[in-house]
Amino acid sequence: MRSLLKASTFRVALSLGSWLALTECSFALAGEINGRVIGPDGEGIAQAVVFVQTLPDGVSPLAPPAAAHMDQVNEQFAPTLLPIPVGTAVSFPNQDQIHHHVYSFSRAKRFEIPLYRGEEEAPIIFDKEGVVKLGCNIHDWMAGIILVVPTPFYAVTAGDGSFTLRDLPAATYPVVSWHARSQTSLEETLQQVSVDEQVPNVTFSLTLKSGGSRRPIRGSRGYR
Amino acid sequence: MCGLSVAFALLLGLLPVCLQVILIDVSSAWGQYEVEEESPVWVRGLLDVRIARSGRSSSWTSRGPGKTRYGGRETARATRLSVSQLALELGAALPWDMVARAQLNWDPDGYTNDRPLLIEAYLRKEWGEWAQGWGLQTGVMNMPFSLEHTGPAWTPQYTLTPSALNSWLWEEGHLVGIEGEWWRVIQSRLRLGLLLGSGFGQDQAGHLLAVRGWVLSDALHGVNSDLPLPARGQHVPAFDEQDNRPSIYAWLTVRDLRRQAELGIGYFDNLGDQDERGVWGTRFGTLGVILHPLPQVDFVSQYLVGEARHRPCRCGVSFHAFYALLSWHHRSHRISARYDVFRTHNQDGLPNYRDRGDAVTLAYLFEFGLQHRVGFEYIFVQSRHAQPFRSSPSDDGGQLSYRFRY
Repeated sequence: MRSLLKASTFRVALSLGSWLALTECSFALAGEINGRVIGPDGEGIAQAVVFVQTLPDGVSPLAPPAAAHMDQVNEQFAPTLLPIPVGTAVSFPNQDQIHHHVYSFSRAKRFEIPLYRGEEEAPIIFDKEGVVKLGCNIHDWMAGIILVVPTPFYAVTAGDGSFTLRDLPAATYPVVSWHARSQTSLEETLQQVSVDEQVPNVTFSLTLKSGGSRRPIRGSRGYR
Repeated sequence: MCGLSVAFALLLGLLPVCLQVILIDVSSAWGQYEVEEESPVWVRGLLDVRIARSGRSSSWTSRGPGKTRYGGRETARATRLSVSQLALELGAALPWDMVARAQLNWDPDGYTNDRPLLIEAYLRKEWGEWAQGWGLQTGVMNMPFSLEHTGPAWTPQYTLTPSALNSWLWEEGHLVGIEGEWWRVIQSRLRLGLLLGSGFGQDQAGHLLAVRGWVLSDALHGVNSDLPLPARGQHVPAFDEQDNRPSIYAWLTVRDLRRQAELGIGYFDNLGDQDERGVWGTRFGTLGVILHPLPQVDFVSQYLVGEARHRPCRCGVSFHAFYALLSWHHRSHRISARYDVFRTHNQDGLPNYRDRGDAVTLAYLFEFGLQHRVGFEYIFVQSRHAQPFRSSPSDDGGQLSYRFRY
């Protein structure tokens, strides 16, 4: 009887402890980092990625990364930029009626998959951080980027350059900013940002190279 | 000495690559986040090697009555190993969002004299987006009517050899001109496209068809090609301008947004001045459809009807051709079957240039890796040509192809 009572008391204490821990955890998860990515002229830069470069001690990923999709629509990758945490499985559904042959020669991931509409290929797991440049072997102008970031805390900037990193437990984080055409190295953008009761506001400054992407052929000319 | 030079050149070529690799590896621990700069100029190539087992009739490429590209020795079938296409494609992204493209082909078949053939060379600029926009293109180009020449370097997509209809469109369809194109999505369901073009160099369009008749050939001709006629020593230049009247053409396309059905209607008229010696007056209309009734099934069909007149000689013809192609693909495999009908009818009495025939083409294509494709194709042709051959060429034959795409 005494042992049963002890066991019950232990379970209650354990449940209470867990609840308290969860409560504490949920409070800790409320942290955010707000900010903007701007150019030398002060104008916001869209389609930049801001991410936590390494997780501080005591902070671990909350859940395994969710699956992601890189579609092909109207002979373009959609989205053209897909940031994912390392370990994410990405599928490549072809929404076009025509044949695409997607490939990457990037160091972070090398692969090639012939893609027809209605034929699902197995998702590809991106297990190394870095830039994965995508192309289509048939449609030379198709270009996309999968940015594999090392942590689950990342955000893409809006049209005005603003971003919010959410659900960060209280800690000090190394945060960097990246853009496909950035001339500023990732190291130069590194900032240590403390997340506590106050929401920090951070500004990253990037200098971009002029864009030189290949224009798609949208008319009836061009290979299928 | 030569070997030494080659080795030295290779070393010189490899040195920057090695240095680049070393520099990338030591330059930054975060080097994997660097995006390699996209070159504004790109080069691609295509090599297609064939083993062809032909029928007995000698090919039109050697001025014979045969309907296929690879012919026999009149008394016996022939087997040959041939480079069927060697193409170099160049592209450049220019200022103001313009694009330049060019393609050169080398065709080792004897009648081209081994000179490079200029398949296309144009400047293009587009305004707007996929849902609505317009574009301008100027330079050397081919008329846009073929529904089969949509593979890399303008190779046929479904078979090794295109239909008779599209073979001819890529033989005599070159011009130097300008075209404008407009497209728009309407009612969120359909995409309309209208292309209007005009150009020079089409004064002898139709000459080849009238005198030689239809053929099935994947040989790509350039604007500087001379196409062989049956008579010894005679040829038709792909580009010839004598009357200084521009050709005109139009291509209207309608398709649903999921691209399950696509319709194209085209018209061409070279507005040839019949008072000028050597000028043909040729015009035609074409109607084509692409359907995808099932995700893995393509159905392509096209009809073309027209006439080619030439006042000094009695060799004007009316012509028409039709094909229906059914193709099934699964992953990197594709099996296609096509039925072709082609006819020319004499319009001016004797000599009679009437040409009539039917063909069935069966093809299997398999792509592996990014750069390789093997294919097998068998063509059965039944045809009858009144002049100048007075023959019913036997043309059934097969081809085994290996294609490398750089």
